[in-house]
Amino acid sequence: MTMRQILILAVLLAPSARALEVVTLDSKAPLVKIKVMVRAGSASDPPGLEGLAALTGAMLREGSFGDPLHPVTKEKLADLTRPWGTAAYPNAQVAKETTVIHFSAPREVADRYIDEVLRPMLTKPLFNPKELERVRGEVLQYLRSGLRLEEIENFGLTSLDNVVFEGTPYAHWDGGTEKGLLKVDREALLRFYKTHYRPENITVGVSSNDKALIEKIRNAVAGMGEVKAEPYESQVPQAPAAVHGRSALVIELPNAISTGLHAGYPLPLTRKDADFWPLYIANVWFGTHRDDFSHLYHVIREERGYNYGDYSYIEHFEGRPENLFPPLNVPRRYQYFSLWARPVAHQFAPHILRALTWELGNFIRTGLTEEECALSKNKAKILYLSFAETADRLLASRLDDAYYGMEPGYLPGYLARVDAVTCGQVNAAIKKYLQAKDMKYVVVTKKGETAKIIEGIASEAPVWGKDPHDYNIDVKEEDGRKLYLVPQPKLDILRRDAVWANEPLDIPKQNVRVVPAEKMFETSAIP
Amino acid sequence: MKTLSLILALCSGWASAGAFPYPVKKKTLPNGLDILVIEMPEFKDVLSYNTMVLAGSGKEEQRGATGLAHLFEHILFTHRFKGKDGGYNDAINRMGADNNAWTWFDITYYHPLTFTSNLAGLALLESSRFKALSINEKIFQTETGAVLGEYRKVASNPSMKMEERVYDLLYPNHPYGHTTMGYYDDVIDMPKHYEAAKKFYDTYYRPNGVVVVVAGDVKAEEVFKTLGPLYSDWKAQPIPPVKEKGPEPSGDRRERVAWDSDIAPQAWVAYRMPAFKLGSPEAGAAELLDELLISPAAPLQKKLRYEKQTASGIGFDEGTNGFESAEPRAIIVSAELFKEKLAAKGDAYFDDAIKDIEDGLDALKSFSKSPGAADLLKVIQSKYRYDFLSGLSSPRNVANVMAQYYRFNRDPQALDQLLDSVQKLKPEDIDRLAQNYFRPENRVVLTLAFEPSAKKGK
Repeated sequence: MTMRQILILAVLLAPSARALEVVTLDSKAPLVKIKVMVRAGSASDPPGLEGLAALTGAMLREGSFGDPLHPVTKEKLADLTRPWGTAAYPNAQVAKETTVIHFSAPREVADRYIDEVLRPMLTKPLFNPKELERVRGEVLQYLRSGLRLEEIENFGLTSLDNVVFEGTPYAHWDGGTEKGLLKVDREALLRFYKTHYRPENITVGVSSNDKALIEKIRNAVAGMGEVKAEPYESQVPQAPAAVHGRSALVIELPNAISTGLHAGYPLPLTRKDADFWPLYIANVWFGTHRDDFSHLYHVIREERGYNYGDYSYIEHFEGRPENLFPPLNVPRRYQYFSLWARPVAHQFAPHILRALTWELGNFIRTGLTEEECALSKNKAKILYLSFAETADRLLASRLDDAYYGMEPGYLPGYLARVDAVTCGQVNAAIKKYLQAKDMKYVVVTKKGETAKIIEGIASEAPVWGKDPHDYNIDVKEEDGRKLYLVPQPKLDILRRDAVWANEPLDIPKQNVRVVPAEKMFETSAIP
Repeated sequence: MKTLSLILALCSGWASAGAFPYPVKKKTLPNGLDILVIEMPEFKDVLSYNTMVLAGSGKEEQRGATGLAHLFEHILFTHRFKGKDGGYNDAINRMGADNNAWTWFDITYYHPLTFTSNLAGLALLESSRFKALSINEKIFQTETGAVLGEYRKVASNPSMKMEERVYDLLYPNHPYGHTTMGYYDDVIDMPKHYEAAKKFYDTYYRPNGVVVVVAGDVKAEEVFKTLGPLYSDWKAQPIPPVKEKGPEPSGDRRERVAWDSDIAPQAWVAYRMPAFKLGSPEAGAAELLDELLISPAAPLQKKLRYEKQTASGIGFDEGTNGFESAEPRAIIVSAELFKEKLAAKGDAYFDDAIKDIEDGLDALKSFSKSPGAADLLKVIQSKYRYDFLSGLSSPRNVANVMAQYYRFNRDPQALDQLLDSVQKLKPEDIDRLAQNYFRPENRVVLTLAFEPSAKKGK
């Protein structure tokens, strides 16, 4: 065979797209972690079958696998993995662009784990239809009861995500829609698996540098996707449409005792862009999640006591409200900027919407001083301690790096990138990427409050929040008149309140949609 | 530099996989303050600085003023450091720290995280707010708004109401009878409780009722040298015990909770449990209850969620550690049910689910007689050990686990004793725990269902 022939053969044997990718983290902890990232998530749900990606991920474990005559059922799997710890029972995490199946097992049983769990689960799923019915029922129950009626904050956050990406494959909850979930059948699971669960679509993360172990995992997943089914046509999600002007969606709950406030618009950058880092430093100052370092938190919660917290984001933050730090393995090719004021008393909702909007506008106008930039950079370094806290996070982050194609990776390069940011870059990024005029708002409130809130949203007159009495300012009665004895810091607060009150949102009533909670997430269209 | 070191950190630190892998060094100051240091040098430059106050909502004895322990957790962040309003927070933000805290029935836990180079600065700030808190009434009142916001954000979740009812029925004569958040009306009234809140601080924020746990890239001697002088002028004072004001309730108590939105129904079965005596077979057996009852391989999960499909989910309301308490507390098994099934079958559906849960708990009374009990116990002990080791994933997590168990006997070997008590269990120990406590007179059963006319309130 000539060299030319060898080269041709090599080309013919090469995989059509990319080969299976493995990333590792050298750790000698007693449990080895394995994470299998599939490059398909809820954005790959075919139209009308929203929930297919989530059900496929869940059914790998729940729907039995292996030999159809002697299947490994979910019960057998639970018994088999029981002595090895809770995390040995596999879990699937479905996000917009990825599904990550993750587990860990004691090092001494890793080989057995791969043979008896990892390989058959990923290459021989059975998708038992009875189990599909059960899992579907549980997901629908969560959608109808938990997400819509019990978790006012998660409801608003998910709704904003849908609204910002309206009209794109991002515009539904990762778990699916009510109608889509009802249409998924076993055939659809097989087709989705065939289309996306393929070695060239996979990145595996392993917390070990043991070459034999890595090779074994590589071989174990090599047979993924080999089932008889018609693949779906792969779709690449399109970018969200630009937002023009301001609009609001008001969602009515039957029993809310407070009102949640959200706003956002698509952001044309992700963490792999150079501009991400100066914008990140800006956002650390303006709205760090669940941290009193945040400016929004300071002015709305700390100074005025309106609510539990107020934040801003330049990337989607999964797992709110509980998570203190952004979870990993939810990468996206399209991101959005967002504002979140946690629930406030109903009567203050329109005023706080104005506050959020004015504060964002003011942040863009004034930018940050050198001192504020330095403090924000210092805070960003502190956040790193939590972002990189555990081996699990470090490994998960390497999968995200593979998704984004980041070199050095997000965490390995984090401190150097933060250090390199100049205040000039921060202020330029604020001007380039942040704006307050084209924005989608989401309000989650109680049914009987809607009319008043819409009046406040659409009004061109001042809309006030707390009054001096609410700030516990001393009052002196003189000649039948009230004299407020306002100390200087409180005077600043009152002045700023007046500025907020006089910042109309410029949202005419025709730009406000009202939707009952029960109608959200029926389909991927916003009702 | 720091990135690399953190990654390397995870290569070591597992010298002994059989027990708690880190030495714990302890110093007790003359005023009774315990300082524990866990050296984890592989987590280079990381400083986890934790202050555990041995008082939470379980000390709130004043009626109409529930939620003060949690409110006080918030207030500690408003400390006027060096005489300046907001001075503590300002100094923390200038130094740089992730700074948060939480409150529960027995504990209020403060856990800043920063770089080791900030040890002296952080110790100064932390000692200042714990030993000599300076606040003013107006800032206190503003912060009560944030606490009210914290209540409101979860108010649409019926679990809060269920917790309020279940604790009230379990502990009508003890502060455990209300949630850590407190009743809604009390939270609304918090601005009026400045004096009561200050009294709570004066009574319970005392060095003899506090433990400081420092973990990470630190040297014990340096920590003791830095912290000792800063905390030594904090005055000790006897801490009054909380006593149950009346007899333990008795009799099988059942109640229906009505809810005002069309949510999935729930069934809760709760039992009063013993005080947690670290190292005892009883406490060891209690540690395994989640695995014996509600994990994916456990009988309740298999029966209710898989076989009969009565429930869409089953768990312990407070997670696995809810009953680890200095005084007798409770285990609460909660099941989320299906509204369609309730509509079709009515109350018989609730009765069936409750009976299955009660039967599942009762089955543990003869656990040792079930086939393969000894082998099953070994499997569960193995799982416990791996889960314990998995939890030791960072200085912050290690300090938290240490603090959680250290409080029971103030022995630095507490975690080894805990592991030992679990590994030495015999099947009969499970029987005994179940026989002694899963009794009808210790039980409270709640159901929750949508009723269009329901109104929320206290």
